[in-house]
Amino acid sequence: MKEVIETRELITVTFRGMVLRGTYHRPYGLSTGSGLDLNEPSAIGVLLVNAGFLPRSGLGDSAVYWADSFAACGYPSFRIDLQGLGDSDGEPPADLSDFVNSGGFAPELAAIVKDIVRRFGLSGVAVVAHCASTVSAIFAAALIRECKGLALLDPYFHLSQGGSKLRAGLSDWAWRSRLGGSISTVYHWLKHVHLFLRWRKPPSNANLPLLRRWKQLGSSGLPILVMKAPALKARGSQPRLGEFDYLNYVQARSGRASRIVVKYIEGTNHSFADRLGRIAVRQHTERWLRSCFPLMERQASALNPPRSEHSGFKNHTENHEMRSHHSNTAR
Amino acid sequence: MEQAGYFSVSGAHLYTVLHAVPNPIARVLLVGPFASQRHSGYIPWVRWARYLATRQIECLRYDYRGVGESTGNFADMSFGTWSEDVQILACWLKTRSPGVPLMLHGLDMGALFAAQNFQVGIGDALLLWAPPASANESLRTTIARQIGLEKLFRYVGAKQRQASDYIRQLNDGLLIEIDGYEWSSRLWHDSFDLHLPPGIGDESGDTLASERPVRIVWPENAAPLIKGSSVAYDTINKDFTQLFSQNYDWLSMVTATLIGQHS
Repeated sequence: MKEVIETRELITVTFRGMVLRGTYHRPYGLSTGSGLDLNEPSAIGVLLVNAGFLPRSGLGDSAVYWADSFAACGYPSFRIDLQGLGDSDGEPPADLSDFVNSGGFAPELAAIVKDIVRRFGLSGVAVVAHCASTVSAIFAAALIRECKGLALLDPYFHLSQGGSKLRAGLSDWAWRSRLGGSISTVYHWLKHVHLFLRWRKPPSNANLPLLRRWKQLGSSGLPILVMKAPALKARGSQPRLGEFDYLNYVQARSGRASRIVVKYIEGTNHSFADRLGRIAVRQHTERWLRSCFPLMERQASALNPPRSEHSGFKNHTENHEMRSHHSNTAR
Repeated sequence: MEQAGYFSVSGAHLYTVLHAVPNPIARVLLVGPFASQRHSGYIPWVRWARYLATRQIECLRYDYRGVGESTGNFADMSFGTWSEDVQILACWLKTRSPGVPLMLHGLDMGALFAAQNFQVGIGDALLLWAPPASANESLRTTIARQIGLEKLFRYVGAKQRQASDYIRQLNDGLLIEIDGYEWSSRLWHDSFDLHLPPGIGDESGDTLASERPVRIVWPENAAPLIKGSSVAYDTINKDFTQLFSQNYDWLSMVTATLIGQHS
């Protein structure tokens, strides 16, 4: 058994006595000794965080694909399982959703960022997070200076509604039956009217501590890339009827210094694991990385051309036509 | 102690995690759920490995070639390749101390690979959780789940596909994409030929095949490990105490019998 293969290395990080296990994707050129120097002051790493309860490979191994791709662009990339997830020690929190939404993983994530910055001689880390992990990433980024940017896939800013059986049953009925569907439509119209009357105030289940952290990060000028898939029963990049437009809200309150870019990826789904989604995420993130954290000329010239293997999708990476479009760039 | 590492096989590296135990009473190769089910069953599968390791049973779990942390292109793989993974790792595990009994334990599609290897003489005992009757049955179940998820996350204007649409594409020789994995037409056609071997799975409960112990736990008991989706948080903290303890009891009973026979 080896811990190191050509482009990957298995690593561990210790947090509060627990061993967290992960994978380091070496930037291309490093393993061949062609001169890429991680000690260059501009070296920025990329850390991909577990989406929800998924292991660090992500759904359909999409996180492996992205980490391989970012490493191929010259950015050392890391995927580390949080405590209780994947191969890491510990048990998942009893109520994972509440734990995540209250920023429960933030100290751990911040410690991981600091650890890899120190060990690999990086000047900082850009965190790539998906769905629930975007909450952890925002809370963590507000704790440390080493987090230099956030790439967020389908972030959300509300708290869970509470999982009563009645609510779940009604939701299931509305989903399955025609009458239930009609009543659901009326319900969402009423919600829409209610939101309109509140005049752009967030709803009562908004995650206010999270919104405060976002405002702090946005106004500090932290580069943030948001990628958004079409939402359930929504049309285009807009949220579903009756749902609050959090992205619009947080962008408007991020101040003049903010560097927030929003990309809408049409045709994918919330997992971003399908071919279209994973390629679009890769392309948007790579452009964002190059724009915000350009490699030193010497580092860039040390890179080999991209290799053929991309973790299961090696035959359709570069030439796939993408139907995403730029929806908004804030300031 | 858990040791993660890469195991070199032809054209790829298998990602393995050895739950190492000093002086183990037995060893178990855990042949896990197939690609699409891997993520939803990961936490209970790791928990099971740890449960056994704390009871002096050493375990090796791994990712199939082209899946998860293992390298290789999923679309290039076949049932033959994945069955070979079982064979190679079982042989490696056996050589760690040949006198210690080696069990094969498969879950869902992994049960078919474990059973196939057991039938040709690998392993001293076989434990199967939720084995499908055939690989095709497992693939069909996965397609049905994908359709359910597509319906759940459908946005306005999205096309709702049916199982027949996917199957037609496969029959036409096209690739389809399920949960981020590309299924080839070859994979689909080969799936009709991978069954539980004759003599295994004909009876319920504990039995013998070629004088070696076999236990099958049918889907209603083991399914929580492989059900669920990317939105189902409830799969991660289910209480598997009963499932684990009953199967550990069987493994320790089999181990005692095997050690008694050897001595």
